[in-house]
Amino acid sequence: MHWPVRWKVVRRSLRESVVFLAIGLLAAAGVYAVSITIRPFLDGVETKAHAAPPGSGALPAGGNLVSSIRGEPRTFNRYADQTSAVETITFLLHSRLVRVNRKTMEIEPMLAEGWTASKDNLAYTIRLRRGVRFSDGAPFASADVVFAFRAIYRKDKTGAYESPIADSMQVAGKPLDVKALDENTVQIRFPSAYGPGMRILDNLPIYPRHLLEQSLNDGTFDAAWGVSTPPAKMAGLGPFVLKEYQAGQRLVFDRNPRYWRKDAAGRPLPYLDRITIEILADQNAELLRLQSGQLDCIQSEVRPEDYKALKEAATKGKIRLYDLGTGLDADALWFNLRADAPIARGRRPWLQNVELRRAIAESVDRTRFTNTVFFGAGVPTFGPVSPGNRIWFDPQVPTPKFDRASAARRLASIGLTKKNAEGILLDSAGAPVQFTLLTQKGNTALERGAAALREQLRAIGVVMDVVPLQVGTLGGRLESGDLEAAYYRFLTSDVDPAASMDLWRSSGGFHVWNPRQAKPATEWEGLLDDLIARQVSTVDPAQRKRLFGQVQRIFAEHIPILYFAAPRVYVATSARVLNATPVLLRPVVLWSADTLAMQAAPRSNR
Amino acid sequence: MSLLRLFARRAVFGLLLVLTVSSGAVLLTRLAPDNEAAELMASGASRETIERERARHGFDRPVLEQYIAWLSHAARLDFGQSVMFGRPVADLVRQRAANTALLALAALALATLVGIPLGVVSGSRRSGPLPALIRAVSLVCLSLPPLLTSLVLVFVAARTGWFPIGGMTSIEASDAGWLPWVRDVAWHVPLPAIALAIPMAAVLERLQSQATGETLREPFMLAALARGVRRPRLVWRDGFKASIRPVASIYGLIVGGLLSGSFVVEIVTSWPGLGRLMFDGLRARDLYLVAGCAAAGSVFLAAGSLLSDLALAFADPRLRGEERR
Amino acid sequence: MRRTGLVLLALAVAVAAAAPLLAPHDPGRGYDDYLHAPPTALHVRDADGRWRWPFFHPLRLVDRLESRYEEDTSREVALKLFARGSLVAEQDESAGPWLPLGADSFGRDLYSRILYGARVSLGVALVAVAGSLLIGLVVGGVSGYFGGALDELLMRLAEFVVVLPTVYLVLALRSVLPLVLTPGQVFALMVGIFTLVGWPYVARGVRGIVAVERRRDYAEAARAAGASPVRILCRNILPATVGHLGIQATLLLPAFILAEATLSFVGVGFFDPTPTWGTMLHDAANVSTLGQFPWMLAPAFAIFIVVLGVNLVVQGSRTRSVAGSIDLAAR
Repeated sequence: MHWPVRWKVVRRSLRESVVFLAIGLLAAAGVYAVSITIRPFLDGVETKAHAAPPGSGALPAGGNLVSSIRGEPRTFNRYADQTSAVETITFLLHSRLVRVNRKTMEIEPMLAEGWTASKDNLAYTIRLRRGVRFSDGAPFASADVVFAFRAIYRKDKTGAYESPIADSMQVAGKPLDVKALDENTVQIRFPSAYGPGMRILDNLPIYPRHLLEQSLNDGTFDAAWGVSTPPAKMAGLGPFVLKEYQAGQRLVFDRNPRYWRKDAAGRPLPYLDRITIEILADQNAELLRLQSGQLDCIQSEVRPEDYKALKEAATKGKIRLYDLGTGLDADALWFNLRADAPIARGRRPWLQNVELRRAIAESVDRTRFTNTVFFGAGVPTFGPVSPGNRIWFDPQVPTPKFDRASAARRLASIGLTKKNAEGILLDSAGAPVQFTLLTQKGNTALERGAAALREQLRAIGVVMDVVPLQVGTLGGRLESGDLEAAYYRFLTSDVDPAASMDLWRSSGGFHVWNPRQAKPATEWEGLLDDLIARQVSTVDPAQRKRLFGQVQRIFAEHIPILYFAAPRVYVATSARVLNATPVLLRPVVLWSADTLAMQAAPRSNR
Repeated sequence: MSLLRLFARRAVFGLLLVLTVSSGAVLLTRLAPDNEAAELMASGASRETIERERARHGFDRPVLEQYIAWLSHAARLDFGQSVMFGRPVADLVRQRAANTALLALAALALATLVGIPLGVVSGSRRSGPLPALIRAVSLVCLSLPPLLTSLVLVFVAARTGWFPIGGMTSIEASDAGWLPWVRDVAWHVPLPAIALAIPMAAVLERLQSQATGETLREPFMLAALARGVRRPRLVWRDGFKASIRPVASIYGLIVGGLLSGSFVVEIVTSWPGLGRLMFDGLRARDLYLVAGCAAAGSVFLAAGSLLSDLALAFADPRLRGEERR
Repeated sequence: MRRTGLVLLALAVAVAAAAPLLAPHDPGRGYDDYLHAPPTALHVRDADGRWRWPFFHPLRLVDRLESRYEEDTSREVALKLFARGSLVAEQDESAGPWLPLGADSFGRDLYSRILYGARVSLGVALVAVAGSLLIGLVVGGVSGYFGGALDELLMRLAEFVVVLPTVYLVLALRSVLPLVLTPGQVFALMVGIFTLVGWPYVARGVRGIVAVERRRDYAEAARAAGASPVRILCRNILPATVGHLGIQATLLLPAFILAEATLSFVGVGFFDPTPTWGTMLHDAANVSTLGQFPWMLAPAFAIFIVVLGVNLVVQGSRTRSVAGSIDLAAR
């Protein structure tokens, strides 16, 4: 008699499975319910930071600011390395003759008290500040400036410049000429007219001659000031000195009592006693600590997907969120336009055709793109200059409209009309219109952007395969030219176009679609070379803007790089940080470390 | 006598394991495609610098030569320099391995403290609501691998703030002294340890339950009962001692499981451990780092097997006495 | 218990196979105005208190950057059976999609993605299990039958692989292979790696059984009668291993599912837009996402169900119950 036995077994199985699923669901529900009910009660436990007393004027002195960097420095020698870790540290330890105020984008005198330009604008006579001393007590004089230039122009055995700074300190491929007129005066001579003028000195932190001259003469300058150098052997003119470097964990900077700068009221800067920079490789961990108030600031902006969590923390009074408006950097998509690229020799000539790029520019709905990738917090962009760059952005440059029909017509004009059963375009050989796009893995904005573009291009029948690569591997592929198309975001270091000469010039290493050309491959690139050279050597700002506007027009017509949207930039600091001036260029908060101050409220750990 | 021989045999096996695993790691990483100087390229170093760094780390020599060089250095306990961090591999690995060991031990302790007693309870009773409940909960927990538990726990921590959501230390405790550091770590350990311990506790409970059940059915138990020994004492003292054996025998396997599980937990909770280090090293093709991590991991494995064998020999005298004939 | 487990597993496979019918939406379709949308609540009583067929209020976007939504109570959309090509779906999509488990950061329906993800995740695991069984059977059979040096070598190799923690082994193998692949290639690569890691578990048991059976009378008789080793193996001995193969299959399945989930989770497995349980957890693993949008952890529940099913089957079998779960937990 099988039937009754089976029924019992079935009933038991049912009973058991119900029990198990019930336990699982109960557990999940319990966890969720607990988390929701407990939260309101916990709010009262957290310490709230007090708002800064309004209008009191006087910023409190003292305090320890805690920040973080994502990677470890390979060396402390900025003349030998330009990774972001060294860059940030240099802002704390050293000063420049002149700096670009990243809030106003104007140049400010720093170690240079004032300067006069010669009639032909080729020579600048700079008066150095008097009575300035390095953090170890040695006096600062013009010899240090001369030494700095000598150090960055040092050459290696093959006769090429060793220092990565050398590139940005040259005008039309020639170095600047520096000589000391007396103890406190220096004369800098440009080899040819240079539009930005003194702005170029923002790239050069001044190093102590008395500590480094020996190694420069020995030829060991590259290895000087490595990560194992004892802090006592380094000195600088910056607001802080390195107290301790715990490898893999943190860097501790103490106030430099000999710092030359004072605030408007005559109080000696910096206000802070100490800055601790934690080394946190994990972006998640960094965000968590910022949210909970353990970190006072980080070096990068807030990602759109993290905005909500930080906004919540801001309403609870733990952090301050700054809205800096449209950013300077939009995502860039370009095709490999080298003549020797495999795709050029292959059977897909349409891949390097400008009509394809124009079609893509017209077929992407940038509003939808911004909504998907930046959650609506962004602005459509069409050219290499973002609307956030108010000084140099030319709003008169024509921009393509979102028009899929027109895009289809353009594609038809280069022979891509037939579609297969799935709606993919076919080329003349009957192969589907498809290409591979390389992008950076781990960068959520790029990954999301690439995914959004892939979907939008599919609508016009173009298949784009997205391949995310580790940043190092990506760099290797870009160098070797082994790619069809790439999608990346360039971080600009300055709003002035002279800072990205390598991008505009056809001979530049950053002319990404076809770098290092011996001579311009196309007529418009030749025109671009000419315009940019004139732009850089013109001193009149209005004329420079006009010339650069023409550069943007050429970009709009030939679209060597496609741009889609620039995100709105948000920066978060803890509520205890006072007088912060977050900016669009990195390091977003620490660039003005000497004027930061902290409240006296205790740090909460939750 | 034989305990020593056991130890020696296990030690040789362990050494062989470490050698094979690290050699495998070296060869595998070296023969992998994609550029090993990737990290340097990312930082914008010039071509000359990249070539120099490659030569310095030995990547321009043929595979075999580099392997032999690594081997000879490793024999002197010099594990080379990490390309990614610019620091000696031994320092990095030592620090991270200690963190992973801490996590694993905490998880193991937790799992043992929870699983074993529950196993005795559920194994000593055949029917009734309590053993059934324990069995059911155990089955559910067995099906919760560390990947899931760590994600859920991080969510709970994010919403309730009961525990810190990640990392091993808060930022303040850095130079406050030894005791505050211990307290700080102790506050950060529970989340990842619980995530790791849940499935492990269930395994131990099941195992202990079965062992206890079997032991209680042995004739000597019935005899003791007949003599008048009280049941609780029987279960918890004599039965427990006899059932240690099957549990002790699998501690070696458990170490392997802990290493596997800790990898995911380290990533989700940002615990600075060995798993994370090895993963980053693999991605960056940092040869010496990967080899060092593989070596450290296999040391753990070998140690685990050794401990489990020792525990087994200790628990079961029969295994020890075989040579005294 | 065993039956419950088998039912759960069968359910999972059935759901995976029938995904196109069960999923209300296309897994790749992103709803632009529903990024990070919470699960749509179903109501059975309307504003007047009357009982109705299940319906929902479409969500309205309140703040895009903060991903805040609210129910648009002025509109109601009913669910229908067998609508728009699937078992249960909303009557009319124009007002807004029905998102039973919410949406991910691209506005894609999580429920549909879990269903389609079951195909990939279970598919990889099942094919890899088949591969492991096949290779394990061959290697174990050869090793157990012929014995000698070959047996020693193969079994040492198998033991070596078994000792190592699976996750690290799989990770190492995957990391050293090119990272640039299409989904199809990733699938094949994963199956290959899992098979490579899984066969020793099968081979060891098979070898033991074959070594014992070889000496039995019936095998000797067959050899005396002049049958070739292959024939003896296939016809007489290997059928004895079926029980062991069954157990190993049920143990390897969740191990492979978890391995795929782990690889995709850390980013070296499948990647966007392929829906698999691992990639969905990868999307969810950003900590601010977890705290703000916890419904993205739904794939974890799916994995839990499958693993629970396997454990029920293993625990329900009288023999090898605990040893089996040890094996499982240690991988």
